[in-house]
Amino acid sequence: MKKTIQIPLGSQHISLLEPIRFKFECENEKIIGVDADVGFVHRGVELACTRSFEFKQVGYVVARVCGLCAITHSLSYTLAVEKLLGYVANDRIKYLRMLMVELDRIHSHMLCLAHTAENAGFEALFMQIMGDRELIMDVQEAISGNRVQFDYISIGGVNRDLTPELVAMIHKNLGVLTSKIDALIGLFDNNWSLSLKYKGVGVLRLEDAYTYNALGPLARAAGLATDVRAETSDFPYEDIGYKMILESSGDIHARNFLRLREIVNSITMCQNIVNNLPVGEIQEKAKGKPNGEAVVRVEAPRGELFYLVRGSGQNMLDRVRIKTPTFSAIPAMIEVFKGAEYADAPAILASFDPCMSCTAK
Amino acid sequence: MRKIETTLTTLLRDIGAFYEAKKWHFLSVNGIDLGEGKIELQWIFSQYGVKDEVVIYYALSDYETPVPSIVTLIPSAFMGEREIVDMFGLSVDGAESGLYLDKDSLAHPLRGES
Amino acid sequence: MKFFTPFRKKSPWVLHYNAGSCNGCDIEILASLAPKYDLERFGVINTGNPKQSDIFLVTGPVTYRSRERLVELYSQIPEPKVVVAVGSCTATGGVFRGMYNVEDGIDRYIPVDVYVPGCAASPQLIIDALVKGLEVLEAKSKEIEKPFKLFGAIETIHNKLSRLNMATKVEPHAKD
Repeated sequence: MKKTIQIPLGSQHISLLEPIRFKFECENEKIIGVDADVGFVHRGVELACTRSFEFKQVGYVVARVCGLCAITHSLSYTLAVEKLLGYVANDRIKYLRMLMVELDRIHSHMLCLAHTAENAGFEALFMQIMGDRELIMDVQEAISGNRVQFDYISIGGVNRDLTPELVAMIHKNLGVLTSKIDALIGLFDNNWSLSLKYKGVGVLRLEDAYTYNALGPLARAAGLATDVRAETSDFPYEDIGYKMILESSGDIHARNFLRLREIVNSITMCQNIVNNLPVGEIQEKAKGKPNGEAVVRVEAPRGELFYLVRGSGQNMLDRVRIKTPTFSAIPAMIEVFKGAEYADAPAILASFDPCMSCTAK
Repeated sequence: MRKIETTLTTLLRDIGAFYEAKKWHFLSVNGIDLGEGKIELQWIFSQYGVKDEVVIYYALSDYETPVPSIVTLIPSAFMGEREIVDMFGLSVDGAESGLYLDKDSLAHPLRGES
Repeated sequence: MKFFTPFRKKSPWVLHYNAGSCNGCDIEILASLAPKYDLERFGVINTGNPKQSDIFLVTGPVTYRSRERLVELYSQIPEPKVVVAVGSCTATGGVFRGMYNVEDGIDRYIPVDVYVPGCAASPQLIIDALVKGLEVLEAKSKEIEKPFKLFGAIETIHNKLSRLNMATKVEPHAKD
């Protein structure tokens, strides 16, 4: 007689925002094998970037790879093309781009925290965090004109400038958010029922993080010191108060806690950016056609986003390679699921903050 | 960005000598269609804690030659290998097709003139 | 079934499925359920079970692999039901129109009652669309609605309608 049972999760499930299907091979309650099907949202963006759209339009197309980290997608693509054009943005453009990326990181991390809370059965906390998240959404809407798909970055600059009213609004909302995040840190650390659901559950060990090339918050929660913000020199992150944040235990609690501490760090960075904004134009001419090959790495909320762009002096590019964070994290995710209880699977899955639209492109 | 040329026959030896799990982060496998049935395959690495250090091993090949799998060296490479199997119609040992594409999807969409 | 109609209007349950969207509309749906926009004041609850749902919120242009699931979920929702298509790409394919793995809009597969424009659709519009959907729901009867494609037979087994074979599997075919 067969000793194991197969339990599917997905592709449509209340705990999933996006379609992904897991097939868990379970022995009693323990998961011993995992099979993941991630191709539900494959649309074919990579081909369209080289066949249907000119290089000036592609920045807005790749933003539609993923709604949560749209800004990092358009930023990475724009940086790659600017490298090929031999254009270096001035400091004001760099600071404004960093501001939007950090705001995006705050709202994405808060969505993940809310979702993890919901999947652990804590509906009230989900509502509370989603309510607080609107502070950031308001700021993003005021700066860029859109709540989700900003289309803020274009080749040669950014599309809108900060006004004094906006700066006042950013300070006000970030100030309110800081006190709320402090309260959340206390809650996540001390709440008894959350600790039952989170502490010691879904552990990724440091050796596994190295072996399976974990990245982003998943790796940093296991103690692997990797952050593209510290590993590239495209943006002056050290000047605005960036600190690498590390946890060591690698469980759901560590991942949540790491995200909370990164939010605090990102709030500090946003305030520093707004306070020390250099003067300059927000839109400059970047002339020519992309020729050659460039790689760009940007730290998206979920980890490292990698773009490889190759052009041959034409309006159409030869290749746009998009390597998204969740795509690389799937081997490590599968490793974490093995040995966990089936009942914890939704909470573990939410704590990875998976983004299937990114993965399947 | 450093680019190092290799060939499909010496790939496993080259990457085996190069890759250390605690030093290098394996990014992805990538393919670029060069036209006329040729393809450039890339294996991309970045170094932990060092600024702007990206190493790309590349090999020129065609669509008929099977590509060796590096899963024995880097266990997380299976996702990237399944992706190039789907997108370029290559054959990689141990990697099955069907990560993204369905029965009636366009076959190997990123191959030139497909 | 006149008796249940007023209750259904006060508490429509929502089933959400992502048929290949970029996630932007999905997080806006979550945001509209959350305190600031608070869709729950209309009695709306997000449920994972198609058999308890009244309103089907779909996002995305329908990718090849999500076709069967979309039709399957649609046919499992009991009548009367309303389909709300959220986002520009559900209507025409939007930015994804013409990409090789995309079907350019969900109305090729299932009948849509309310379209929500926008990339990404804003929470205000999603709330408007749900309220509009409630009007449509009220006017609908228990008559069985069928998907356009991937549509199998409705059988009568032991004098009861069975929807087991209502959605069929995709066979290889040329793209139209």
